[in-house]
Amino acid sequence: MKNEILGFEDVAYTYHTRRGETVAAEGLTFSVREGEFVAVIGPSGCGKTTLLSLAAGLIEPSGGRVVRRGTCGYMLQKDELFPWRTIEKNIALPLEIKRQNTPKNRERARGLAEKYGLGDFLQSYPSQLSGGMRQRAALIRTLATDPDILLLDEPFSALDYQTRLNVCGDVSAIIRSEGKTALLITHDISEAVSLADRILVLSARPARVTHTHTMDFGEKNPLKRREMQQFSAWFELLWRELNG
Amino acid sequence: MKNNNGFSEEHLLYLKRRKRRVALVWTLRVGLLALLLGLWELSADLGWADPFLVSSPSRIAATLAALYSEGTLFYHIGTTLWETALGFVLSVVLGYGIALILWWSETVRRVLEPYLVVLNALPKIALGPLIIIWFGTGSKAILFMTVIVGLIVAILHMLTAFCATDKNKLLLLRSLGASKLQILFKLVVPSSLAAFISMLKVNVGMAWIGSIMGEYIVSKAGLGYLIVYGGQVFKLDLLMAATVILAALAAGMYFLVMLLEKLLVKNNED
Repeated sequence: MKNEILGFEDVAYTYHTRRGETVAAEGLTFSVREGEFVAVIGPSGCGKTTLLSLAAGLIEPSGGRVVRRGTCGYMLQKDELFPWRTIEKNIALPLEIKRQNTPKNRERARGLAEKYGLGDFLQSYPSQLSGGMRQRAALIRTLATDPDILLLDEPFSALDYQTRLNVCGDVSAIIRSEGKTALLITHDISEAVSLADRILVLSARPARVTHTHTMDFGEKNPLKRREMQQFSAWFELLWRELNG
Repeated sequence: MKNNNGFSEEHLLYLKRRKRRVALVWTLRVGLLALLLGLWELSADLGWADPFLVSSPSRIAATLAALYSEGTLFYHIGTTLWETALGFVLSVVLGYGIALILWWSETVRRVLEPYLVVLNALPKIALGPLIIIWFGTGSKAILFMTVIVGLIVAILHMLTAFCATDKNKLLLLRSLGASKLQILFKLVVPSSLAAFISMLKVNVGMAWIGSIMGEYIVSKAGLGYLIVYGGQVFKLDLLMAATVILAALAAGMYFLVMLLEKLLVKNNED
């Protein structure tokens, strides 16, 4: 595929425990283009997190191959900010780990924080921030090393509904304006429909891609999408596919 | 309604009530102590209880004064305090280090697990005779006793904390490509700070148990020695006086750990 930045080619993954082995994925093939926002939905327990771990290179596939043309940033369900670090230090954590903690990179990360409304909270501790602000800080931390691909593992599921809609809008706007490629894993159909350019539907275990849909809203703002006519049609279609 | 401080009348009333409550608790605390000491003194003076068996606050004070004028009071305190403090520091440092090694290598951890469990369950006083044979009857034996009483507890306490490090935070660091050393210093050590403080609190108690137990078995000086000696020659005043000093010192050491906690733990909790 053209401009492919992440590709799964016939990927299989089996994990082993004392009680036996489980085939989490088999014949998993898809690709993500540069700048694209792809959402993956699937029935619970279908191996969505396995898929992200494979994409991030945290685990190696048992079969097939994963092609990655760039660096990955991983964003988890909860913000996982370190409570003993200030927001500024939290955001600089990936720079420290990757030994890129140069004044220039720190300045860049601080610039991102200021640009997206965290400027006044840089010296605050995570416990002083609201859930939405914390998740925003987690996104800035993910962006600090300027990764090419963002891997989002249900990043809004720990938030209450109101915050969730707002943060969803924020995160979408930030990712779009930074021109990042994103792979979002979620069990929330409406979240996928409101955010993605393209949606992949996974089967129950072993995970395979059963359907692919390109969203036709002509609108990137998730809150506006939710008000559009096609929204409920997409929702129903995906609902049937997930349960069918 | 706002006054000069910018607080409402209601808030000022709240603060006042709070202050009064704190004052009440302190008054009752001190009052209770005075009451107990008074009853003790009175029952000894009026012959309700035999002062030979229960001593009394005034006799304890007199004994302390006598020890002080003999010049042995601070010698005994110093001996025990030194053994306890050194034993405490050694068991904490060694325990932390060994726990780190066990966290680092799962194989070592799994191999040594049953040994730790058995050593933890073993009453250390059973090693008394062995310690005398190995280390003689001096301070070395007492120090060894103090260290082994605290060491296993420290190891198990810290190992549990290290292994309880948040799985998702570990995943986050691994996704960034962190090395094991980075994971250790950026996550495992700072996130186990609260457990470290609680381990210190537990080990203050352990160190006192170790040093006093050690002095019971072998010693020529120290508070444990005074207690045993006082019991053997039925000088209850001496026994009680040493116990009172011990209580004060243990409280002081615990207070120091609390102070350390205030300094270290500021933003460690979500």
